[in-house]
Amino acid sequence: MGKRVLVVDDDPDVRVFNTTVLEENGYSPEEAVNGEEALQAIRAAPPDLVMLDVLMPRQSGIRLYRTLKTDPALKAVKIILLSGIARASFLKSQQALTEFGGQPVPEPEYYLEKPVDAEVLAAAVKKAIG
Amino acid sequence: MIRKLLFVTKFEELGYDAVKSLLSLREVSLEHVVFMYVIERDKVAFRRGVGYQKSEELRLKESANIRFIDWAERLFEIGMEVGVYIQIGNMAAEVTKAVAREEADLVVIGRSQKSLLEQFYSGSTVTELVRRLSVPVLVYKPVPDNPFAFGKPFQRPLLATDWSPASRRAVDYLIAIKPLIEEVRVVNVVDEERINGDSVMQAQLARKDAKARLEEICSRLQAAGIPARSHVYVGRPAEGVEKAARECQSTMVVLGSSSKNRWVERWIGSVPREIAENSAFPTLLIAPERD
Repeated sequence: MGKRVLVVDDDPDVRVFNTTVLEENGYSPEEAVNGEEALQAIRAAPPDLVMLDVLMPRQSGIRLYRTLKTDPALKAVKIILLSGIARASFLKSQQALTEFGGQPVPEPEYYLEKPVDAEVLAAAVKKAIG
Repeated sequence: MIRKLLFVTKFEELGYDAVKSLLSLREVSLEHVVFMYVIERDKVAFRRGVGYQKSEELRLKESANIRFIDWAERLFEIGMEVGVYIQIGNMAAEVTKAVAREEADLVVIGRSQKSLLEQFYSGSTVTELVRRLSVPVLVYKPVPDNPFAFGKPFQRPLLATDWSPASRRAVDYLIAIKPLIEEVRVVNVVDEERINGDSVMQAQLARKDAKARLEEICSRLQAAGIPARSHVYVGRPAEGVEKAARECQSTMVVLGSSSKNRWVERWIGSVPREIAENSAFPTLLIAPERD
């Protein structure tokens, strides 16, 4: 069984695309449709990698990223952000949330702006978790 | 408190300027905006010779998604939380589901684009929403010569009361958003029929009675630290409220909605619906308490 990757995206088409790419490259994908559902799954059994969308119902990827990176038990979980939201906006939002009194969080190591080719996606996953 | 707002748009009637003007709600805890676009089913439905219009569905979804991404980036950048729903179906039903899923505190929607005939047969979206929801519904629109009240739509609300339980809830609601309010004008429109008698005394009694009750409401608002003044108008309720809003230079009309059922409303009409659909002012409808 390959390394576990949690795909978090509210768009079913994107989830199908991402999980297919992952399976074809030997990984074991799991799915969540929003930040809240993803957090429950991660707390229950932390995956090797989270592939995280930003703009979602219930809880965005911005808040989930912040939660994961400020939780000592979860901050080692690797994250690839994969979104239509520009990286610059993501960084500004984290900065604003820190200014409002939140803990500072590190910049994401991997940020891919949609749409992403299968090869680029697979390469990013390989670089992140081997 | 208004922590989460569901902003429902078809884009032609409410754009980002409307979203921006609502950000003053951050003063009363707003931290999360959820955008919603509902593609009415008949726009992509199966048609003889054409089939199910999958490409039209995709086009509409992606156009909406591109707009929402742009809006979301701007809100994320100022530390807001943002979500999006793009759904196919009946507007009122989909909004109701999203309110439940998101636990939204306020729904913002544009004026209905349906014709009177369409409204008669399929009902007004606003009426449907108020019937289904217990959270307030803001029918938002730019005031002529005062687009979105220069970013402070809650500054000078006109509270139109008919003494109903929902009207009393509207008072509580205004007290809860006190930091946004500069002054409230409270109005009751006395039905002309109550005055069309032979006696001057009867007319004066109707005015005196309304004024006394309005003053009670003003006292409640003033006790909460909100300046308030009362006015009595005479005439058809919707016209009276509109006239009062203009004369008081109000930024919004606030009123309790009736709980008449759909068929009663369709046949005899509803004052809140008439104001929400036809007024030049943004209209905040407060639903009666649900059991």
